[in-house]
Amino acid sequence: MHVKQTIAIIGAAGNMGQAIAKALAKEENRLLLFSSNQQKAQLVAEEIKSKNAAIEVEGTGCPVDASWEADIIILAVPYQAEAEIAKKIEDVARQKIVISISNPLNETFDGLVTLPGTSAGEELQKILPDSKVIKAFNTTYAVNFVQPLIDGKQTDAFIAGDHATALTVVEELVRSAGFNPIVAGPLKVSQTLENMQLLLIQLTMKYNYNWHAGWKILHN
Amino acid sequence: MFEQLIKSIQDKVPATEEELQLCKHYFTPKKIRKKQFLLQEGDVCNRLAFVEKGSLYSYSTDAKGTQRVIQFAFEGWWISDLYSFFTKEPSNLNIEALEDSELLLLDHEQHDYLLKNIPQYETYTRLILQNAYVALQRRIEGTIGLTAEEKYSRFLNQYSTCLNRVPQHLIASYLGITPETLSRIRKQMTR
Repeated sequence: MHVKQTIAIIGAAGNMGQAIAKALAKEENRLLLFSSNQQKAQLVAEEIKSKNAAIEVEGTGCPVDASWEADIIILAVPYQAEAEIAKKIEDVARQKIVISISNPLNETFDGLVTLPGTSAGEELQKILPDSKVIKAFNTTYAVNFVQPLIDGKQTDAFIAGDHATALTVVEELVRSAGFNPIVAGPLKVSQTLENMQLLLIQLTMKYNYNWHAGWKILHN
Repeated sequence: MFEQLIKSIQDKVPATEEELQLCKHYFTPKKIRKKQFLLQEGDVCNRLAFVEKGSLYSYSTDAKGTQRVIQFAFEGWWISDLYSFFTKEPSNLNIEALEDSELLLLDHEQHDYLLKNIPQYETYTRLILQNAYVALQRRIEGTIGLTAEEKYSRFLNQYSTCLNRVPQHLIASYLGITPETLSRIRKQMTR
């Protein structure tokens, strides 16, 4: 028997939060699902339990307690909500892996609201200086979690961060969620990753990919 | 969140406010619920745990699954498997929460950073390890040399303030006696 890793998913009732929760619903993980609407978080937990009763998962109404219990915290919230929640959990997130999944898109989806030379990932690290912020799951759509194969190929999922051990842990998490993890580089590479998703979203809308689209690096 | 740790450090070394504040940044705050594990047999113990609130205990299990309690830890105590932590070999021990607890954890990287950069922390750690070594020596000496009654008396002295928080069968296991023997000793002592 191994000690289960406790993963807090903040924003677990949203599209991405639910998708991540379901993809990480495995016996080696213990999931704490927070949503500002606790009932919704509980419904997600119940849905997971109904498929496999052995999964340890629960909905919670307190992001601080969930993060305090967690080994890994996933902020599955929009960029605009990230700073507020980060400030709340700062003390209990110290030295922990905090995954930033957000893309700081503007309202018209034709640009990013972050200033040039920074990214949502780096901005989160500034608010949580003692945490190990890792950019992950930002280049994947929620539907990819249900079907990580697109056109018969396993979708790549890029990871960026400054802390080697934390990158290894998240790489394994991404792999267990069904994606092919690629460590792209230090946290500042978030700028590229967030722009990549901006492009993918624009192309998805332009060519009507119906959200079944993702990134795959072709190489020898 | 850090009250017990700061008290523990200040009890042993004259750390400055600045050093104490710096220490805080390197600990991982972790809540753990009753009956949850901090460490399970077969895993490498990669974290030292300081108990800020609540209690835990460490134990091994024999072939029949019987628990053999090694140590209890309450507020202000440290608990881990030092063998596994320092050798990075898989542990033979389990560390389980007796009560809902609040811990402050240190992994190798954080621990090494504090040792290198805060001399008072190094002194503090040396004193903690020194005490742990003495406690271990006393425990071995007691286990092989004392009668069940003497072991229980020593246990009462050592854990006097926390006695009612530990189930009797775990105390018996810690002392290496059966719960029935412990019950008999307790009756004798109350006479």
